[in-house]
Amino acid sequence: MNLFRSSLLRRRSVLLLAILTPALLSACILDSNQSPFKTAGPVAEDQKNIFIFIFVIAVVVFVIVEAALLYSILKFRQKGTAARPPNQVHGNTRLEIGWSLAPIVFLVAIAVPTLIMIIDQDRGPLDGRVPDNPLVINAVGHQWWFEFEYPGEDVITANELHIPVDRAVDVRLLSDDVIHSFWIPQIAGKVDMIPGQGNSMWIQASETGTFLGQCAEFCGEAHANMRFRVAAHTAEDYQAWLDGMRRAPVTPEPGSDAAAGQLVFAQNCSTCHTNNSYKPAVARAERDTQIARQNGFKADPENARIISAPNLTHLALRTHFAAGIEELNADTLKQWIIDPDDIKKGNRMSKQAAIYNVPGSELSTAEVDQLVAYLLSLTPAAADAVVEVEGPGSGSGEPSAANGETLFATVGCSGCHSTGTNTLVGPGFSGLSDRAGSTVEGQSAEEYVRESIMKPNAFIVGGGTVSAMPSTFGAQLEDGEVDDLVAYLLSIE
Amino acid sequence: MAQEAVISKFPNPFPRPKGYSGIWSWITTVDHKRIGTMYGMTAFMFFLVGGIEALIMRLQLARADNDLVSPEVFNQLFTMHGTTMIFLVVMPLSAAFFNWMIPLLIGARDVAFPRLNAFSYWTFLAGGLLMNLGFAFNSAPNAGWFGYANLTEGAYSLGNNTDFWVIGLQVLGIASLAAAFNFLVTIINMRAPGMSFMKMPVFVWMALIVQILLVLAFPVITVALIELQFDRLYLTNFFNPDAGGEPVYWQHMFWLFGHPEVYILILPAMGIVSEVLPVFSRKPLFGYPFVVFAGASIAFMGFFVWSHHMFTTGLGPAATSAFALSTMAIAVPTGIKIFNWIGTVWGGQVRLNSAMLFSLAFVALFIVGGLSGVTHASPPTDAQQQDTYYIVAHFHYVLFGGSLFGLFSGVYYWWPKITGKYLSEKLGKVHFWLMFIGMNLTFFPMHWLGLDGMPRRIFTYSADSGWERTNEWVTVGAFIIALSIVVFIVNFFKTSRSGEVAGADPWDARTLEWSIPSPVPVYNFVNIPQVETLDDWWAKKYPETVAHEESHDSDTEQVAPAGAEDLQPLVPKVSPEERLGEDHGIHLPDGSYYPLIAGFGLAFFGGSLMSAWWLTLIAGLVMFYGTLGWIFEPVNDPEDHH
Repeated sequence: MNLFRSSLLRRRSVLLLAILTPALLSACILDSNQSPFKTAGPVAEDQKNIFIFIFVIAVVVFVIVEAALLYSILKFRQKGTAARPPNQVHGNTRLEIGWSLAPIVFLVAIAVPTLIMIIDQDRGPLDGRVPDNPLVINAVGHQWWFEFEYPGEDVITANELHIPVDRAVDVRLLSDDVIHSFWIPQIAGKVDMIPGQGNSMWIQASETGTFLGQCAEFCGEAHANMRFRVAAHTAEDYQAWLDGMRRAPVTPEPGSDAAAGQLVFAQNCSTCHTNNSYKPAVARAERDTQIARQNGFKADPENARIISAPNLTHLALRTHFAAGIEELNADTLKQWIIDPDDIKKGNRMSKQAAIYNVPGSELSTAEVDQLVAYLLSLTPAAADAVVEVEGPGSGSGEPSAANGETLFATVGCSGCHSTGTNTLVGPGFSGLSDRAGSTVEGQSAEEYVRESIMKPNAFIVGGGTVSAMPSTFGAQLEDGEVDDLVAYLLSIE
Repeated sequence: MAQEAVISKFPNPFPRPKGYSGIWSWITTVDHKRIGTMYGMTAFMFFLVGGIEALIMRLQLARADNDLVSPEVFNQLFTMHGTTMIFLVVMPLSAAFFNWMIPLLIGARDVAFPRLNAFSYWTFLAGGLLMNLGFAFNSAPNAGWFGYANLTEGAYSLGNNTDFWVIGLQVLGIASLAAAFNFLVTIINMRAPGMSFMKMPVFVWMALIVQILLVLAFPVITVALIELQFDRLYLTNFFNPDAGGEPVYWQHMFWLFGHPEVYILILPAMGIVSEVLPVFSRKPLFGYPFVVFAGASIAFMGFFVWSHHMFTTGLGPAATSAFALSTMAIAVPTGIKIFNWIGTVWGGQVRLNSAMLFSLAFVALFIVGGLSGVTHASPPTDAQQQDTYYIVAHFHYVLFGGSLFGLFSGVYYWWPKITGKYLSEKLGKVHFWLMFIGMNLTFFPMHWLGLDGMPRRIFTYSADSGWERTNEWVTVGAFIIALSIVVFIVNFFKTSRSGEVAGADPWDARTLEWSIPSPVPVYNFVNIPQVETLDDWWAKKYPETVAHEESHDSDTEQVAPAGAEDLQPLVPKVSPEERLGEDHGIHLPDGSYYPLIAGFGLAFFGGSLMSAWWLTLIAGLVMFYGTLGWIFEPVNDPEDHH
């Protein structure tokens, strides 16, 4: 900071000071809550230092050249008319050579540290050393939110990135739709997230705390509201967070609003929002699920009732939602569910979700309250609590259509499929048993339905190559559960 | 004779106007001066539109969490503000000066292809209208002036917004290319006898370089736009990542055009400043060959720096380093220009009138823009500044503080030549100071907004960000700029009614256009001048100064030239009835409707691609008719031949 106030500046004329006053002021006010000058990591620190170095050179050149300009204007100013023109000087070759070479000296002074830093920052976050044991995180840009996957840890979350302090993090930057840019000003400058191109960047936090991040590449209507938070923890706290993300949530009290909300969620939200990636298989399959959802959207952007959406597993651990723009509490969440556009214009949910677009699918006030209660209950159960047994199916003995009916509601089938004849996203299942046996040559009804659940792209009614149905139920469901579900589906009248 | 037969058979329902007054004579005009005037007026209208777009954005951003406009509208505003200011304001304002001044500065009676010149103008006008027509359908372009794929295609760009942008730009590109070839041929072939390249005024040099840039850069964006439009219409996959296409490929194409485009925008203003500073310092341009060569170097190097717009796209250390170095290198010729401008003022007799103030401000502000450019030429620091308001501040110092101040300098400087009257100096200075103060108040704080982490292209920011107070001042600055433009408009109307009449050479200037009457007769020069030196008109007025130049070291000699008033007889006296040139036996081409029909037909054809096939068919026929009529129409109607 003292560089901004160098004595060189103070000796200049009043006018120059007037021009420079904003620059001096700026030293005191570069303190926004996401200022790259309030560094919290070595990458941003290096970037800040090289900026200040170049900036000082630029200010010196600025003062010299502007002073020369101002001096020549004031000294040679002519009032009234002079009969004799001044000496008609056409140039001076020595002078020309001099001021062609002078900038080169400054530029070399800038270029050398620049090139060194390009190489260093490519190698690792700290002093150009290749880190021993970097943490790898996949960061995925979506319109208009961020997804963070911890490969090898079976953890995946959205909009709040958790990292340990003082450890190099290799962030792999991806996008499932358009180009975004990943930027945590206090920790590191930005790198773009480009679909079909694997970029990566080093980040490292040198202090614990929460730091703001924001998409820096224009990415469509809600670009301004595509933000995120980075929580830098001690190694122990980070591990505790990871462990929590792998535990089942607190089971809602039977009969409570939250318990009712769980059903509302399964029927209306679970098509797009995963809320059970605490299960390792679901966490591992989540990226494919999101891509399948996005493919469903791309197949028919105007009418699709499906699109990739933020993972809501353990949502209540987060401080904010809607891509980091709104504090998470019962009031804001309720407002969001009732009218998402009120909080974030341009959001995809209000354009794609059935509850906002299909007449008769709207949530009642009671259902909204139940949903809010459920979502805010989504926190990891205590570490010593008995981990919930997955689903009601035992996986042994005869398939149970009753268990299948429960699964139909809780796994998310009912979000897209009715048990009548009407089409929500996918076809209604009334009378499925009558037609399932004759849909694909050589497959029995049971085989056909099973394949449709496990591999939705194997055969698509009406043609096409990519089904809007996520191809991840195979990973989510256990064998016995699939048996139960098939039994139920074929029992629908 | 066969051709004559065809000509007489070709249906021409429009009789060509023969007079030199009335609306039809303007619509059919092929006179470079009138076309220049129309370019200037049209560009100024678009300047007001783009300015109003900016003011709405500034109102929206003056408050945190503001909801004056929706994000969709904001995105349309910043897209159209950028597109308008670049393609519909700075480029055509430059074209206005090219049209008006290139023939006058090189001693020619018109450009090489007068009807092509008219076609360029009408195509530009039609393209500009087409671009803005999106507002009428509530689908103005909304993906930024850079139109990054794949946001501009497939599921992410439904509606016609981007079609208006793509097709509008294609039409404008055709207008620019046609004009570029025209000016290239004009400058190369139509210079007055004796005017070798190194005796050409610097403005003409910069114009020549800009035309070369246009001819080389516009085909790149043309190809990229065709590919984008094919992706949109015919589901090709140039930029579609789902099918192996490369969104970054668009960025390479766009900036391979886009960076030379920056020099297309700034070099004309540099040319103007290089004319104005010598005149109002009463000295020749310091280091003429160096200024010319620096301009050419900037243009050449401008093709090798495009990826500095893409430092954050993951080019890898090798490419990033190379583009960082080439970007820094471009500061050298830029510096040479600035030093030579200061050298021009040094030792002169500086007259601080409006034209001079704008040119001096150009230099002062361009220094800021140039230096802030160097600060983010370094990729590690650019990683923090890319896509922030720091960049917005930087390029507005270059394009507003630079290009627009230079162009306004040209307006005040050449106004007496164009209209025969002075613009009011008093209002001119009010205009200047308001614009200078407003400009700095608007764009200087953006530097620290960007350094403070505020991204660009955001329609809102949160109240606890700490950016609100600065944004308020920025908005105040924007309205001060608007006020300065109001003062200019008042000046325009006031002086057009009651302005002080200016003589042929009111500034005691140096170049050929001041050797002919103001306003300029339609044929420009009665006799094509014989050029002997650089600044030929000055040399004719003050031959002693030049004689001394040649025989002595100029650093020490003082010269006592004759008074300028002795030279007035050099300016031919022209009576109004002589203006059309017939008395001097000078033939000028007749007006024509076909450039207008062909130009509007082209834009109509492009626009119709968004609608029904039968409309495209009609539009195609209109365009075809305009072109065919143009081909068969003789330069002058046969009965006019003497």
